This record gives sequence, C-alpha cells and structure tokens, in this order.
Amino acid sequence: MKLYEYEGKELFKQVGIPVPRGIVTDKPIKWEGKAVVKSQLLEGGRGKRGLVRVTDNVEETIKELMSLGINKFLVEEFIPHEKEIYLSALIDRDSAEPIIVASPEGGIDIESSKNVRIFQIPIERGVRSYDVIKIEKYLNVKGLEPVIKGLYKLVTEYDAELAEINPLAITIDGRIYALDSKVILEDNALFKHQDIIEKIGRSPSKEAYVELDGDIGIIGNGAGLTMATMDMVKLMGGNPADFYDVGGGADREKVKEAILKIGSNSKVRKIIMNIYGGITRCDEVALGIIEAYDKVKKPIYVRLVGTNEEAGRKILQEKGIPYYTDALSCIGDALRS
Amino acid sequence: MNRNSRVLVQGITGKEGSFHTKQMLTYGTKIVAGTSPGKGGTEVHGVPVYDTVEDALKEHEIDASIVFVPAKFAPDAIYEAIDGGIKLIVVITEHIPVLDMLKVVKYAKQKGSRIIGPNCPGIIVPEESLVGIFPPRPFKKGKIGIVSRSGTLTYEVAEMVKELGQSTVIGIGGDPIVGTSLVEVVKMFEEDPETESIIMIGEIGGTMEERVAKMKKEGLIKKKIVAYIAGMTAPKEKRMGHAGAVVYMGMGTFESKIKALHESGIPVATTPYEIKKLLVF
Repeated sequence: MKLYEYEGKELFKQVGIPVPRGIVTDKPIKWEGKAVVKSQLLEGGRGKRGLVRVTDNVEETIKELMSLGINKFLVEEFIPHEKEIYLSALIDRDSAEPIIVASPEGGIDIESSKNVRIFQIPIERGVRSYDVIKIEKYLNVKGLEPVIKGLYKLVTEYDAELAEINPLAITIDGRIYALDSKVILEDNALFKHQDIIEKIGRSPSKEAYVELDGDIGIIGNGAGLTMATMDMVKLMGGNPADFYDVGGGADREKVKEAILKIGSNSKVRKIIMNIYGGITRCDEVALGIIEAYDKVKKPIYVRLVGTNEEAGRKILQEKGIPYYTDALSCIGDALRS
Repeated sequence: MNRNSRVLVQGITGKEGSFHTKQMLTYGTKIVAGTSPGKGGTEVHGVPVYDTVEDALKEHEIDASIVFVPAKFAPDAIYEAIDGGIKLIVVITEHIPVLDMLKVVKYAKQKGSRIIGPNCPGIIVPEESLVGIFPPRPFKKGKIGIVSRSGTLTYEVAEMVKELGQSTVIGIGGDPIVGTSLVEVVKMFEEDPETESIIMIGEIGGTMEERVAKMKKEGLIKKKIVAYIAGMTAPKEKRMGHAGAVVYMGMGTFESKIKALHESGIPVATTPYEIKKLLVF
C-alpha cells in the first residue's frame, strides 16, 4: 500500500528521520512567511504538474490548487538548502537482503541516473557504523546515521517494500531534512501493523487489478497467464483495457465480481477471459460467469480449461454460453468481432 | 523427486490441503502423513493426521513436505519442516510477507533444506509424482524440463509441448523472495539425465532471467534452452498480480530481460504458442 507523503513523513518521525515542520490541511490556512504547499496525491510527478508550490501566500495558493480539484495539502516551512541527495531502502530480490540505494544527485529520476550506488546490509547485523561511513563518503555528506537507520528500520521492522527520500536536503549549517517521502508498505504484512492501519484509516487497494488505456477487458487466473493474455492481445493488434487476475482458487463470487467490475468500465467494448484451472476450479468459475453474464451487456469470450473443466463447460452449455478450449482462437475471435 | 518420494502435507485438513491431497494421491504421489494442529489422530482421504511435524516423523520416513497453511501461520509451518530435517519443502501458500520469507529462506539454507515457492504451483514429474497443485491435463512423460515463475502460464506452456512430453516441471513462485531461483533450477536441468531441453518462463520484475542469460553466456548451459517472458504490456511501478511482478527503479523491465536473453543466444518466444517452434528448430 502506497502512503501519501504526509503519512510517510509521520513514519519518518517515528523512526527518527528529520522532516520540516508542517501541517496537513484540506482548506486554506494562514501561514507566517515562506512555505511550500504540496498537493497530497498518490501518483508521482507532482512537481512537473505544478502541484507543489513555494509561496509567501499559503492561503491563496491553496485556493488556487483547490480550484484544480486537489483537496488535501501538506504545508511545510520552506527550507533553504545547498545540497540535495537521494536515499532509499528496500529488499534486494537477488541477494535476498535489505539494501540502501544512494545517489549524490537528489530530486532526480533515479531510474535514469547513472550515479547510483547500492549498499547491501544483511538483516542479521543491521546498520553498523562502517556502513554509515561508507555511504557518507560516497555521498560526501556527514550526519546521515539517523536517516540511514530510519530507512532501514522501515523496511526491516515496518515491512516497507520501499522507503525513499527524494530529495534529502542538507542546509548550509549541515542540518538534514527529508523534503519528500515515498513509502510503500507491503500489503501482505499489514496484519502485523494494526496501529499504522488504524492511523491511516485506509485499506489496501486490490493489487490484482491494474487499469490500462485500451478497450479490451482482460480477466485471467494467475498473474503470468493474465499478463501473457494481455501481451497476446497487444501482439494481435488489440489494446488491453486492464489487467485483472482473479487469483488462484477464485470462487464464483470473485469471478462474478471481476466480470461486473470490468464490464462496468465504460472504455471496455468486449471482455476476454482466460482461465486455466489448477487450484482454481472451472465449475466455480462457470457459476460466476453465468451469474454475471446477463448483467454485462458486452460480449464475453471465455476460454476455460483445467481442474473440473467438464463440470464447468456443462454449466456454461446449459446456459448457452459459448466457450473456447484454446486461448489463441478465443483472443483471435474476440479481436475480429 | 520420483514415484518413491514420501510426502507430508502441512495444513492437510484445510479446504485446499484436503482437495489437493486427493488430487496428488490420485496422481500416484506417496502421501504418508499430514499435519494440522489439534487434528492429530484423524484421517484425510486415508492419510493419518498429526498435530506436529515431529509427531509425523516418529511414525514415517518423509522426503518432502508441501505447505497449504494460511500465510499468517505458514512461516511457522516451514520452520517446523526445516527443524524436522525435511530436505524439500514446497510452499503453495500465497501472501506470506517478504521479510518473513527472507528469514525463512536463509534459515533453510543454513540447515540444508530446499524450499520451492512460496506462492507456487509446486513440482510435477509427469506420470510419476506430483507435489503441488498442477492439474494433470497438460503433462506427459518426456524430455523437456520446464521452469516457471508463474502457475497457470506453466500449465499453458506444458500443454503446448504435451506431445513432446516433460521430464520435470517446476513452478518457483511469483514472490520477490523465493527459496529456489530460475538459475538453480536451470542448473538442475542441465545436470539431469532425464532432461534434454529446457523451457524457462519468466516475467517482469527482479533479474533472475538476466542471470540465466549470464549463465548461458558463460557456457554453463549446454542443453537447448528457450524462454518466454510475460509482461510486455505491463506499465512500470504497477504490480501485476504477483507480488514479484513489479518494476521499481527500472529494475527488471521486460526490455532488459529480452535484451539479456537475445545477447546470450537464448531464443525468446513472443507468445507462449511459439515456444514449441523454437524448441523443434
């Protein structure tokens, strides 16, 4: 679950990472002196879209941004600084260890930067003094220990998938502030952190659904097969409207929910369902399909094979719903229609 | 793994555990025992159930275990199997936190147990033994080894090459941290006399596929190997169903995988349906 900047900064404070003085507001407020007004959105690129503003008139700036449809703001003291760096912590999949990612170029697009170094810090020993020295030397900045330890703690104790500060500001007199936060908590581990969940008051979005910009609804079971279905639709000249993985062992309710959700997307003209049942049972899938079929006024192309396929097909046949056993002809027919 | 492997099912009394125990027994797998705390002394499809792994080990020799325990309790179940000295542990469970898995995998390596998974379909040796949730339909005894990061896509690919048949099929799971990597399985296939050629099914996220390409470049793969990578159309920083199928900081993009595979001389299929063609020619 991706956190808003202000939520991430709350966690920063908890783990000892310094952040600028600020308040969260959903209406215009009075503020003495220079401040930064930051629109609170989950997507990136706020700066480029002009949704982060340095201003002497906070009240007016908030009014302006509200007229653009923004409804939550973090107002922070303006921190004059002479240097910006990048620091983050995450679990490295290849070494199966937590890593600190650092770059002396803050505020940049880390993906395209060449000046990035990775520091592996094994979980059994945690952050040690010599790790800090190494990272500080590379970045040519002193006093990073609380920040490095804080980021590391977010990954190893708060189950953050990613804890990122971009940029981390260093002032003329050597004080350090996290000017931004990007924290993604692992959904599967949220049950361990009830206190955070209560504070945030949101539940994670269903990650198995990703909206895209095409017009062909895609439903599959299993991430790999669903992705492959998307890719094939694209290769055969179609445009996927979404990625929707009903998951392993989906029951009729989940299948019905999926079809209704995809069917209700106004961009979707037709739906391709690609099901290969392993832990998922085709009869359950079929029961879900027949419950949703008539409610969705769009053509649905169903490919159904695997566990309990005969039972599943029988259910579809009785309702007169056509099905395919082969994914290619299913996708081909869908795209040609 | 073969027809004589003796298997323990952890979480045997649950809905999935019980259903797949029956499927595995039907396939010919030797399931000797199951565990479920508090259900000791009962039976599931004729398989005796014990409260703990230790109790089961008192009565049976066990070569492998398969875990159907819910995510919250799965790490305990895996630790228990490791402490019981079980050498192969297949973890079907999905949604185990990455941090827990990281520690469990380290512990297993220290103790000399191999974990497959989590969030995986398991292992199947066609017409011999199934330790997993594979539907039998696409599998036939043969000479092709298949290793995959996904489940259902593996069934699809197995079906495409059904007439050629498979030696062993392993789904390593779709999580960021897994007990056994693509590289390790490819190595096993390389050494396995039953396997003549290898199919690798990858997806976006991580750099396992790139590491297999590196192996090929270094001349460590002599057998014919072909690959398919899912996720060509996946947007960045969006998680595509699998916890592990996500591109952060430009790591593990579709393009980087394809590039690495091409450079190493491993042919890459653009759709699952092209794999067979690449294998035969």
